Amino acid sequence: MKKFLNDPANFVDEMLEGIYRAHPQVTYVNDDKRCLVVAKPKAGKVGIATGGGSGHLPLFLGYVGDNMLDGCAVGGVFQSPSADQMHEVTKYIDQGAGVLYIYGNYTGDIINFDMAAELADIDGITVKQVVGNDDIASSVVGEEHKRRGVAGIFFVYKAAGAAAANGLSLDEVTRLADKARANVRTIGVALSSCVVPEIGHATFSVGEDEMEIGMGIHGEPGISRKKLAPADAVVDEMMERVFAELPAGAGDEFAVLVNGLGGTPKEELYILFRRVSQLFEAKGSKVKYVWIGEFATAMEMAGASISVLKLDAELDPLIAVSVNTPFFAHYKA
Amino acid sequence: MDAIRADELIGLFQSWRDMFAAERDFLIALDGKVGDSDLGITMSKSFAAAYDTVAAEGAAAGLTKLLRSAGAIMAKTAPSTMGTLTATGFLRGAKALEGKDAIGTAEAAAFWRAYATGIAERGKAKLGDKTILDVLDPVAGVLEAQAASGAALAPALKAAADEAEAALERTKAMKAQHGKAAVFQEQTVGLQDAGATVGVFLVKAMSGYVAG
Repeated sequence: MKKFLNDPANFVDEMLEGIYRAHPQVTYVNDDKRCLVVAKPKAGKVGIATGGGSGHLPLFLGYVGDNMLDGCAVGGVFQSPSADQMHEVTKYIDQGAGVLYIYGNYTGDIINFDMAAELADIDGITVKQVVGNDDIASSVVGEEHKRRGVAGIFFVYKAAGAAAANGLSLDEVTRLADKARANVRTIGVALSSCVVPEIGHATFSVGEDEMEIGMGIHGEPGISRKKLAPADAVVDEMMERVFAELPAGAGDEFAVLVNGLGGTPKEELYILFRRVSQLFEAKGSKVKYVWIGEFATAMEMAGASISVLKLDAELDPLIAVSVNTPFFAHYKA
Repeated sequence: MDAIRADELIGLFQSWRDMFAAERDFLIALDGKVGDSDLGITMSKSFAAAYDTVAAEGAAAGLTKLLRSAGAIMAKTAPSTMGTLTATGFLRGAKALEGKDAIGTAEAAAFWRAYATGIAERGKAKLGDKTILDVLDPVAGVLEAQAASGAALAPALKAAADEAEAALERTKAMKAQHGKAAVFQEQTVGLQDAGATVGVFLVKAMSGYVAG
């Protein structure tokens, strides 16, 4: 393992100390650095909270900021934060309009967010939940509730954040977040493993000439392990699965996120996007919004994921809204 | 004791705390066979915090408020899965007893039914998955039958505690489906489940406390 560390046990907390020093627009509550919130909550707005394990920056905390999220409970590397931390974040970001939880479909996160919602209910705070399940490689059609949440949650955050910024009610923000969730699909491909600092060695191994399609962002097994193919062929195989679930026809409009998993250069991501764009073009569809870079990583894992959101008249204007967060800014064209 | 009122509830939490302190190392060893050994620590810590909280609030807070406070502090103190599930049980039990100021046989049945249902929902467990649910569901069933036949609290809880022991014995034949133990599915056959053991301890301590 070759990492910039002091003590592996302090990995998360020292990372957070850096975050707070670099980004004064976020702070923490309850004297717990792992309860990250916006420094200036907007009065009367529906609060949006997320949470999850560390090791995925910019996910999850990086999207807490203007017109996106209001708070994030931060767990250890690849571990759920506690219900209590989520509850503390909830109490702070509730401005009387209720709070929406948006997080990925993982057992530990679900148990703790459910518990936090129950604790918030005792305080008289209404909480709704939308659980991201965009990873099409993690379970088959018909069993979507078993799918993991990965990079596509970015679009759910963006839609929900815009809806809340527009002053919509908790029910409406929840409905729109859920609509974004239902219309986004992601597929990933891994070229190498990640290393959890406190463990100190690779979680799994991928051969020098191999790739694993569908691997999860904690190294969960994917759909197929095979010889690494040329970039266009890899994209063709991935997008075939996406198009099977999100048909792209003439005139349809999409938002696309090409995400690096931590150890893949941006150059390669653009090579992947080149092919993605060609495939949409061949179908007569339009890629209206494109983001390329690191949005949801798995430590130093080499690899990428492609997330696709099908737009409609409701989602399009929400995705268009400007946002400004520590890790992501977007200014309306 | 014919019913558990707020005063006695504080005493019951003291019994639970003392029992989990005494069984801490036993639970650590049991959980260590297929889990991550933190169960004994989780339970002793969360019940110590629960007792301190209900004792500080005092009987004047009322029965359901004390149960709710106990659940909330447990969620805070022990954010492991089992701690969260135990906390959920107390919060749901409190909800089921809303408006009551004493736990008789019918209330004990309602409490454990809500406790078991809450754990099943939160943990997404079903009967036969080799969890605490496999003890608490039959316990609630026995208490419901005892309430229907008009039994007093002490004998009803004695019957429930006996059923808990028998139910724990039955978990030995089951295969674990949840948590770290699920990785060892086949190897868990023959072992008594650690979470289910916690369920037996909870019911036995309650029965012992009421019997005096």
